[in-house]
Amino acid sequence: MDNEYIKKAIECIIFISDKPVTVDDLLHVFNQFKRAELMNLLSELHDKWNEMSRGIELVEVSGGFQFRTVSEFSEVLTNYNKEIKKFRLSKAALEVAAIIAYKQPVTRVEIEEIRGVDSSGVLGYLLNRRLIEITGRKEVIGRPFIYGTSLDFLETFGLRSLKDLPDLKEIKEFEDSFNGFNMNLQKL
Amino acid sequence: MLHLIKKNEVDIYDIPIAIISKQYLEYIGLMKVLNFEVAGNYLVIAAELGKIKSKMLLPKSEYEDEEEEDPRDELVQRLIEYQRYKEAVKGLIDNEILGRDVFLSGNRNGNEKTQELELIKPDLWSLIEAFHSIIERRKAELNADISFEAESISLEDKMAQLKDYMVQKRIVHFFDMFENHYTKFEFIITFLALLELVKNRVLKVLQNEPYNYIEIIYLGEDQLG
Repeated sequence: MDNEYIKKAIECIIFISDKPVTVDDLLHVFNQFKRAELMNLLSELHDKWNEMSRGIELVEVSGGFQFRTVSEFSEVLTNYNKEIKKFRLSKAALEVAAIIAYKQPVTRVEIEEIRGVDSSGVLGYLLNRRLIEITGRKEVIGRPFIYGTSLDFLETFGLRSLKDLPDLKEIKEFEDSFNGFNMNLQKL
Repeated sequence: MLHLIKKNEVDIYDIPIAIISKQYLEYIGLMKVLNFEVAGNYLVIAAELGKIKSKMLLPKSEYEDEEEEDPRDELVQRLIEYQRYKEAVKGLIDNEILGRDVFLSGNRNGNEKTQELELIKPDLWSLIEAFHSIIERRKAELNADISFEAESISLEDKMAQLKDYMVQKRIVHFFDMFENHYTKFEFIITFLALLELVKNRVLKVLQNEPYNYIEIIYLGEDQLG
């Protein structure tokens, strides 16, 4: 089995898979290979697809690889079938998801302390959408649920892992921007 | 809260507590009149503001050399932290999002696992918020001049129009209802017609989470005869 053959086989696997394909997934099938070898092949495959620059691209997301349409064509696709635009998260849902993403593991009360409003409805919704999950219970009185983001969350936001989350703006940056704002007010 | 503070265009470090509290209480007063359960949450915040205000009104402690913590500090810190996450949302939403910018093969797009859309009856506040967000979104295009006689239509006529539309469509997204509207007048009259038809049990409104995804459903003949 030469490398080109393996790469084509990997393409097939990625094509039929309903979630991003990881090196571990591939090791099950190609067990005679070492992890490093498979990672190399994946990397070459990735480069090849980038080179070809087609309407579909091979994307690294959520710890694995997946075929996705190129974002340039999102309008064409919606024209073709407007039902496909499924991403519809409200501001509240996005805020709660972000808080969980950065602060996980976190409880509902901790989330509500930040937002200042009841968040149980939004939490229920996000759980339903499988964007967050219950990862355990906090060992304090009441044993409340602890929340974390799911793999689906990474997949939806195009992140390879939580490390890819954009850095939280430093508090100092806010102080500066608020001070600047105040200075402008005083000039009025 | 942050919204009210920004609205008053104040330096977050010099929040005029009195003004913000007053507006907050007016907000709550309005909601009480409209009978909302949500008022409870805001009352907690109003109480906190009141607490901060009273702390500030107390005569300075005799231990004047002690660094007295500005009671607004905690509030400020909280608001700043909240702001960080709101900023983070902007960063997240900027990426190529599955189900919005990029898609998978076949029908596996976005989150398929959302079939169990638990629909609940939204309260008036959610409808008003949704309406408000549509107006905000379309602000640029909206013709604010509502004096165009040609555009005018009576509420009754609009209700009839809307009912015919719903008979045909059966189920419509709240946001889609305003697709072909271009004047503020049209938006408002449609919204009022919707509320009236819901009151008359001709239409039903359901949503699947607070603040999101609202469906208008045609129920059948006017049930109030």
